[in-house]
Amino acid sequence: MGGTDAKDILGLPKTPLSLTQEKKSRPQKESHRKPDGISREVYALTGGVAPLMPSIDVTQLKRRPLADEKVAWKWLPFTNSARKDDLQLYHWSVDILKYTDEEYENHLTDPVWTKEETDQLFELCDRFDLRFTVIADRFPLSRTVEELKDRYYSVSRALLRARAQSPADVANHPLMKEPYDITRDRERKRALTMVLSQSRHQEKKDAEILAEAKRITEMRLAARRAEEPDVSANENVGLDRADGVGIGRSVSPSSNSQLPATAVAPSTLTMADYASTLASLRMLHVYLRTYGLEQMVQAASSAVGLRTIKRVEQTLQDLGVNLKPKVPTKTVCDEHLELRKEILTLLNLQKQLQYKESEGSSHREGSYAAMPDTPKDRVFATDPFSFGAERQIKKEPKRKGPGRQADSPLPAHKRPRKMKASDL
Amino acid sequence: MYGGDEVSAIVVDLGSHTCKAGYAGEDAPKAVFPSVVGAVDGIESMDVDVDSTKTISSDDSKTNAVESEKEKGKRKLYVGSQALSYRRDHMEMLSPIKDGIVSDWDLVDNIWDHAFRSCLMIDPKEHPMLLAEPPMNTQQQREKAAELMFEKYKVPALFMAKNPVLTSFATGRATSLVVDCGGGSTTIAPVHDGYVLQKAVISAPIGGEFLTDCLLKSLESKGIKIRPRYSFKRKEVRAGEFQVEDVNLPDTTESYKLFCQRMIVGDIKDSICRVPDTPYDDKSYSNIPTTSYELPDGQMLEIGADRFKVPDVMFNPSIVQTIPGMEKYSDMIPSVRGLPHMVMESINKCDVDIRRELYSSILLAGGTSSMQQLKERLEKDLIEESPHSARVKVLASGNTTERRFSVWIGGSILASLGSFQQMWFSKSE
Repeated sequence: MGGTDAKDILGLPKTPLSLTQEKKSRPQKESHRKPDGISREVYALTGGVAPLMPSIDVTQLKRRPLADEKVAWKWLPFTNSARKDDLQLYHWSVDILKYTDEEYENHLTDPVWTKEETDQLFELCDRFDLRFTVIADRFPLSRTVEELKDRYYSVSRALLRARAQSPADVANHPLMKEPYDITRDRERKRALTMVLSQSRHQEKKDAEILAEAKRITEMRLAARRAEEPDVSANENVGLDRADGVGIGRSVSPSSNSQLPATAVAPSTLTMADYASTLASLRMLHVYLRTYGLEQMVQAASSAVGLRTIKRVEQTLQDLGVNLKPKVPTKTVCDEHLELRKEILTLLNLQKQLQYKESEGSSHREGSYAAMPDTPKDRVFATDPFSFGAERQIKKEPKRKGPGRQADSPLPAHKRPRKMKASDL
Repeated sequence: MYGGDEVSAIVVDLGSHTCKAGYAGEDAPKAVFPSVVGAVDGIESMDVDVDSTKTISSDDSKTNAVESEKEKGKRKLYVGSQALSYRRDHMEMLSPIKDGIVSDWDLVDNIWDHAFRSCLMIDPKEHPMLLAEPPMNTQQQREKAAELMFEKYKVPALFMAKNPVLTSFATGRATSLVVDCGGGSTTIAPVHDGYVLQKAVISAPIGGEFLTDCLLKSLESKGIKIRPRYSFKRKEVRAGEFQVEDVNLPDTTESYKLFCQRMIVGDIKDSICRVPDTPYDDKSYSNIPTTSYELPDGQMLEIGADRFKVPDVMFNPSIVQTIPGMEKYSDMIPSVRGLPHMVMESINKCDVDIRRELYSSILLAGGTSSMQQLKERLEKDLIEESPHSARVKVLASGNTTERRFSVWIGGSILASLGSFQQMWFSKSE
């Protein structure tokens, strides 16, 4: 076999015997190198002089038919010399390890495989050059390709290890470096089977259903956003929770279970809905976060007028925040959305404050409306006690959500909210 | 062609319907004749040939058939299309191939003999022989074939190759799924790297002959009588007008009659039948315009729905039950599935890794595969049933003779390869 390698390296042609890519390549490749090499060159030099060839071929070819027709065999080396180059390129010969009986006893016994089977396996490997699909086909007992590969590789590894002088020698052998992992192979094949077993009908249906689902969730999302931006706090909580729990259908039930603890009465259902739709949107397909963000922003701000949107954006700019986050990761986007909502709320509150003040001042003369009180309470309450105000504001469906200073540090946002949640 | 590169091997493909033999290196077999043998049991060696049919033309036989007479006991055998065109009393038609494999070696012997001696006019001693065998062939069969070849014909070298592998080579692929729609049966075999994956070979008895029988029965049930060529005489009553007279030949065997009828109906099938684009049902095809075909005895046939019904049997075998006269097959039919299903079954029996490759190289071969629209219909059905990620591609050479002989052509290519020469096995081995 060393001769083969040497020839390989030197690029000398192998015998015509070895190189048939068609069926039944005989494994006796190691014969008759030198004469053929020489003869080929000579042949090429002399331009295909016939008489030399048959005599050499007779000694070379093992399976020489007894034809008396020199005509046929004359061409043999010639055409082969043309093909030799091709065939050299893609013929890999395999050195299959052979084991003796005692080696088998010592190292290679296996509960599932008998000695005969292992023998047969190796013989087939040799015959078919480790083409495992064909080997699996010809193996008398029915074993899957993975099992055969597993057995072959594990036997070879055991043999190598047993025969090696020291572990270091074999460590570099390709067989040892990359062990054949049968479970991974099985998994891979199972996955491939599943991919390949869906008929086109089913796939069409699946795609339709998915598209349908996506449409529904987006509609819902838009609706939620439009309707209840004042539950933004809860939504954010829900979002965080959803993020924390992770992707998967478990998100919806878990967020559902957690949310009731946090959600306020009117918003429980919507909250759950929102979280679940968001989660499912996430699950459906990969989507551009900027796109999603835009959608959410639009949904959130669709209820308010254009002027308000402009003011929100103006505020953002004043604060030095980009209108579109530069690095749209999940957390950044969420924070951005929160920020927007809070600005919105702030603006709304400010507007209401103004309104109420004007009302209050106009009603100062005579009206006994309870209204002036509450605004005042609210006015007073908002600044020092941002916590308590939330609750009250929450109860009013019109209110747009907790008043919050837009420029408080972000962690502070979270903490108060959580406290509020536990309060509730 | 090789231009002087004479390899001189002989390629023989004995199919269930026709036998093809010829020189390696050529692009079509020289000898093509039906693989049935006419046997006359009798002491007399004279053929009592009434020769009543003047309208016999020599069918497109490429042979100069001399009746090869072999005395086997008291039986005389006739091989070759010309020999078989002569009607003989008491001549039974026997086929050596049953279910795709050889059942009667004596007949095979005769057929080969006829091919070598009469058609190709060679001496088998001088030529290595390449035999094509079905993928389900048993070891015993192979041994018998080898024995016959070496002992009797004394060939110098022999090689036996499986049909699907040869077809694969004819198209230049090492891995493909070969759908061989032959005369006697349809075989689907995956070939991987040049080796047939035997555990995934699927075979169905529906072949060209079966379709011919369907058509024959269908026509008969409609009252059309197919007259074999020998059974009538046309007399010129007036100038240009002929009258048909039945000639009574009581000693003609049924099998011969059937053989001749089949030849005629086979021609009808070849020329007229088309595979429908959608599965056949009686209602939609009831108003189809008919095509006319003239029978040898002058009758004009109008064939309408049958044109499409019969080929659809391949895709939907249960249709057979609606054809009167085919009842004897109705118990076998439920186990036979249509062509696209068989293809998918075969592919699914293979290892997952190669399935994609198989889907994208499906080869059509065999005489029946040259039916019009077969390729398109098969492709369409397969695309519907197969998974989306697999690209389905059905390949068939455009030339119909190439499809018919693709096994033979593959053998021709293989036998003439220079590097193949060391794969022969000689008698000593």
